[in-house]
Amino acid sequence: MVERKRIEIPEGLKVKEVPGEEAEFPFDISPMYEGERIRKGEFFVELGGQPLGKAGFELVIALPPDQVEDMKVTIVGKDLDEIEEEGAYGFAMIYYVAGEMIEEDLEPVIERRNHDFQNYIEGYMHLQQRHDIWCRISKSAVKKGLKSLTQIAKATMMLFKNELPFIEKIEAIYSTDEEFNKKVLDELAWPIYNARDARVEAISDEEVDEFYSCHLCQSFAPTNVCIVSPDRPALCGAITWFDGRAAARVDPEGPNRPVPKGELIDAIKGEYSGVNEYAAEESGGEYTRICLHSFFDAPHTSCGCFETIGFYMPEVDGIGFVHRGYPDVAPNGLPFSTMAGQTGGGKQILGFLGVGVAYFRSKKFLQADGGWRRVVWMAKELKERIKDYIPEEMRDKIATEEDAKTLDELKEFLRRVEHPVVTGVIREVDGQKITDGWIEEEEVVEEVAEEVAEAPAAPTAAPMPMQMPTMQMPAQVGFQLPMPQPTAAPGGIRLVIKDAKIKIDKVIVKKAEEKKKK
Amino acid sequence: MVVVAVTGKGGTGKTVVSALLIHFISKVTTRVLAVDADPDSNLPEALGVTNQVKKTLGDIREVFQISRDNMGAMDKEQWLEGKIYSEAISECDSYDLLVMGRPEGEGCYCFANSLLRGVLRKLMRHYDYIIIDSEAGLEHFSRKTIDSADFILVITDMSKKGLSTAKRIKEMSKELKLNFKGIYLIGNRIMSKDAEEIIKKFADEEGIPLIGFLPYDEKISELDMRGLPITNLPEDSEFAKKVKEIAELVVGVSIKIR
Repeated sequence: MVERKRIEIPEGLKVKEVPGEEAEFPFDISPMYEGERIRKGEFFVELGGQPLGKAGFELVIALPPDQVEDMKVTIVGKDLDEIEEEGAYGFAMIYYVAGEMIEEDLEPVIERRNHDFQNYIEGYMHLQQRHDIWCRISKSAVKKGLKSLTQIAKATMMLFKNELPFIEKIEAIYSTDEEFNKKVLDELAWPIYNARDARVEAISDEEVDEFYSCHLCQSFAPTNVCIVSPDRPALCGAITWFDGRAAARVDPEGPNRPVPKGELIDAIKGEYSGVNEYAAEESGGEYTRICLHSFFDAPHTSCGCFETIGFYMPEVDGIGFVHRGYPDVAPNGLPFSTMAGQTGGGKQILGFLGVGVAYFRSKKFLQADGGWRRVVWMAKELKERIKDYIPEEMRDKIATEEDAKTLDELKEFLRRVEHPVVTGVIREVDGQKITDGWIEEEEVVEEVAEEVAEAPAAPTAAPMPMQMPTMQMPAQVGFQLPMPQPTAAPGGIRLVIKDAKIKIDKVIVKKAEEKKKK
Repeated sequence: MVVVAVTGKGGTGKTVVSALLIHFISKVTTRVLAVDADPDSNLPEALGVTNQVKKTLGDIREVFQISRDNMGAMDKEQWLEGKIYSEAISECDSYDLLVMGRPEGEGCYCFANSLLRGVLRKLMRHYDYIIIDSEAGLEHFSRKTIDSADFILVITDMSKKGLSTAKRIKEMSKELKLNFKGIYLIGNRIMSKDAEEIIKKFADEEGIPLIGFLPYDEKISELDMRGLPITNLPEDSEFAKKVKEIAELVVGVSIKIR
């Protein structure tokens, strides 16, 4: 935790202080200036954007109201009237903000708006963010009467207060003194940026009130329902909860919209009433439930953009993961492309799940199904990429193509490393044993058709992927078999087996000759 | 902002024409963006600014795809915009140059492209002229990375293929709803009256107004051969004079539509 306090400006530095609001500006302020590029030869001065001391950074710090002097600007170092024309200078923009609603969590949200607001200023270009900013002031702006950085600061602060009314007080320090900037950057700004990044990693579904949807891919998967939560980044790997929030704030009718979480229905599976309602509406009633962290019960749908596919292998009662670039077939005998055909299209397919690489970092990674303890195989390139996120206890127990290319080799590997699926997976989240392991039993108890039941307290789910020409059922595994919804599976059958222990050598699923009435 | 797309069958000389148009128009105003939208083209070479090009837009998009998981609390759009402005746009003396570069790799580019479109739209509106050297497939238009073109100049040589490509480009431009104000034909390396007649007839039949014919110029082949910038072409050469006329035409019409 980095302490928030006013920055001390060392004695002897050149300082200019200007309190109060500015009535008039010598430049236009409008969104139409967004994206304005001030070209080489057109700029009066370049601020930041350079390595070695000429770096630029911006920082917003939340402070108690009594420590912020509203609308005051302090310039440290040279101002525009003392700089060399067409020169390059280091640049720091530090804002103190105060308001009843302002907490540290809001600092980055406010900070990234500096870019938007400064770009409204005619003749001023602001690019990048945080430790890496790059600004240019045009010669024509100077010709029109821009004399001091205080004018830029005052205009920006005015926009902050107009556009974000929860900011009650704001004060700015702009500095071109490279030594001072370096000290503040190293001692204050970097620790704060790092803490924010850590916060992004740490934030969980529980801490927020809303998730975000994504409609970017709706054109080719109309029933797809994409929910982006802190613990579940989008399966395409592109959008985190923070991105969704940023996009929804800028354009609430755009591709990312807020989805209120509603009531928590199942903490382990990650089921929320708000998400379910949204799913029903968005999919046109195609599905009524979506569990964010479950592979087997109402899993998340996939547009087709997934970076990786998780596939269930009933023979070992474990899950494998393959990424887009893996050229061979996985131990289930299928290449990525075939599985992608199964997984995509906005359907709720049991047995396949599209996920983004970032989801492997999630603390809720498939937690309902045992998380990492249920993962038995990964393509090597993928495993290497995310190795650091695999818990120590599991890192050597997950096979790659170097260990196992077929199911038989995989079985042997898993036995050798004493993988949890062999003896039964104990779910880390609640210590419950959720699979029985590879027990040698051959007892058929019950076979029931119709009706998908609510998942019982301790589901040992072994779903059956459809559309595969022939498939092996889990040998000697106690399981329940929720089949895909009729709309999702083209097979036209629904088979539910409850509390059964069966052994089948082979099941062949064929398309019905005649159309079934439903 | 006036967007001029120069396109046509490969090898008809659209890069030569683009380079000279950029050369002449940037003498009128320096708020010019040159866009190389042909993965197989070499507009930077033709302009003689190859050493200024650091990265292409495609390179930046690839870096984005790889590093997006490690951006922490940073804003991805601002990241992408910053990279495009600082690395993909080359600042030449009298214009900026953007090279589109390689096409997408595997995986999903929906988000990257959606951000990219937004950034380019905001960037482009601040230029007076945007001159795009585009391959005949108009890929960047169909992907809406670039969403409109005011004038489409189709270059053809003395070949049947050049003309059928021109016809296809016209059809595609309509389908893509580029909102163009005009599509025009320019004959290049035309060495016979017969060829001129055929092209004229084609232009009439297809409703693609013919702007004119550019002669074969040995000097261009020579510059090409030696890898020298096309902008070295003497301004008093027949070819350069003709392209200058086209540039003046574009500027003239543009001032009218503004």
